[in-house]
Amino acid sequence: MSEQQKVNILMVDDQPAKLLSYEVILKELGENLIKAHSGRDALDHLLKTDIAIVLMDVSMPELDGFELADIIRQHPRFQKTAIIFISAVHLTDLDQLKAYQRGAVDYISVPIIPELLRAKVSIFADLHRKTRQMEQLNQELRNLSARLMAAQDEERRRIARDLHDSVGQLVVALSMNNGLALLQAEKLSTSASDALRQNAVLTQQLSKEIRTISHLLHPPLLDEIGLLPAIKMFADGFAERSHVKVSVELAPELGRLAPHMEISIFRVVQECLTNVYRHSGSKTAYIKIWPDGDKRLTVQVRDEGKGIPAENRISTSLGINHGLGLSGMRERVRELGGTLEIQSSESGTCITAQFPAAAAAVMGV
Amino acid sequence: MRAQFLIVDDSHIVRQGLRAILQANPEWEVCGEANDGFSAVEMFKELGPSFVIMDFQMPGMNGIECARRILAIAPAVPIVMFTQHASLELEQHAMEAGIQVVVSKADTFSMIGVIEALLEPSDPISTAEQESGEG
Repeated sequence: MSEQQKVNILMVDDQPAKLLSYEVILKELGENLIKAHSGRDALDHLLKTDIAIVLMDVSMPELDGFELADIIRQHPRFQKTAIIFISAVHLTDLDQLKAYQRGAVDYISVPIIPELLRAKVSIFADLHRKTRQMEQLNQELRNLSARLMAAQDEERRRIARDLHDSVGQLVVALSMNNGLALLQAEKLSTSASDALRQNAVLTQQLSKEIRTISHLLHPPLLDEIGLLPAIKMFADGFAERSHVKVSVELAPELGRLAPHMEISIFRVVQECLTNVYRHSGSKTAYIKIWPDGDKRLTVQVRDEGKGIPAENRISTSLGINHGLGLSGMRERVRELGGTLEIQSSESGTCITAQFPAAAAAVMGV
Repeated sequence: MRAQFLIVDDSHIVRQGLRAILQANPEWEVCGEANDGFSAVEMFKELGPSFVIMDFQMPGMNGIECARRILAIAPAVPIVMFTQHASLELEQHAMEAGIQVVVSKADTFSMIGVIEALLEPSDPISTAEQESGEG
């Protein structure tokens, strides 16, 4: 929505003359003015159109302004619609309080000062435009972030594959040549055969290191065999490198999931375990994945460490990043229609991601 | 009778290295090299090797699936998986498919001992004795 895009202003009054006067006052704002002659008429318009501001009379037959405001606020779509009351009779503080309790943003008494009404309506029109713009930008950011994550996954997969196919195979060949030479090591001098043996050990070490880098970039079992073996393999390697004891409890009935789901769940688990190692101080970690009937799939990673520092806990729950990779995790989960819950105390952190089963698109065991 | 080996690996350099290692033993002969799973199954049917050395990650079809197809033709043929991705998890899936042993490419030279043990009928190799899983 551009800066200049018009917003819809709904004017509700049972007296046509008043509607006409509002129209005259607000016309120069250049917004779309919609007239409703009753509460019911107003509801019809609200359901059909995106309304930025409702300007309404308090006293109307059938459905009065307060009742109408109650109905409007109950609808999730209109939680934030600006409601401005106009009244010639209900002018006590109590009346005004009643209006604000129903979510009114302003309460204007008759006689109306045209400039004042125009200024007030104009502020809320701009606010609505800006909110819409922000929502749109947020959505664009989310789409961009999803595309970036997908591109990053693809790039990691490609580099892992390249490492395996080029450098990895060369090191394997080196290792095989060492083996062949070692068969005839007795023909060499002591120092030459020692050097050869040392080379064989170094080559083996190099091969393992390349393998670890490649596996961290992209788990090889994920595409070929599936999520659960890939997580088990990652957990084994992680435990070996970090000396954190990892317990893995995965529902065996869980078959292959949609590929984007498998990589996202894997990355969430990977990120959580990295946090356990880097920040928690925990010597144990628990990974659990289980389906809840055919409704949702839950992924949980828990540790017994010192927890997220108290000063970071509230902001973390709001999704603010503290270098824990939580916002990336949250975006991944949100992209799949799921939710991420973080519970943290001095006795440990528990991160739970839940995905709708439909998004998991189980492809059979 | 000399043992006939089929080598299945998408890397030319690895096939070459394996051939050199196997041919160091005069009792062993490489009868064919396949660079992917599909041609491996065809070559297996054609050449009837007595032993298969199989990569895991290959384009098109992975080594476990290829082994399944070969074992459906000849259930008794020994297959060793030779991979950079050796792990307990992979081993478990490989065993389920009927592959005898998984050997890590980081530990190439243990391959000879594994083959010797598998070719010796009186002393079949026990997978528990192998150290192919690296975790």
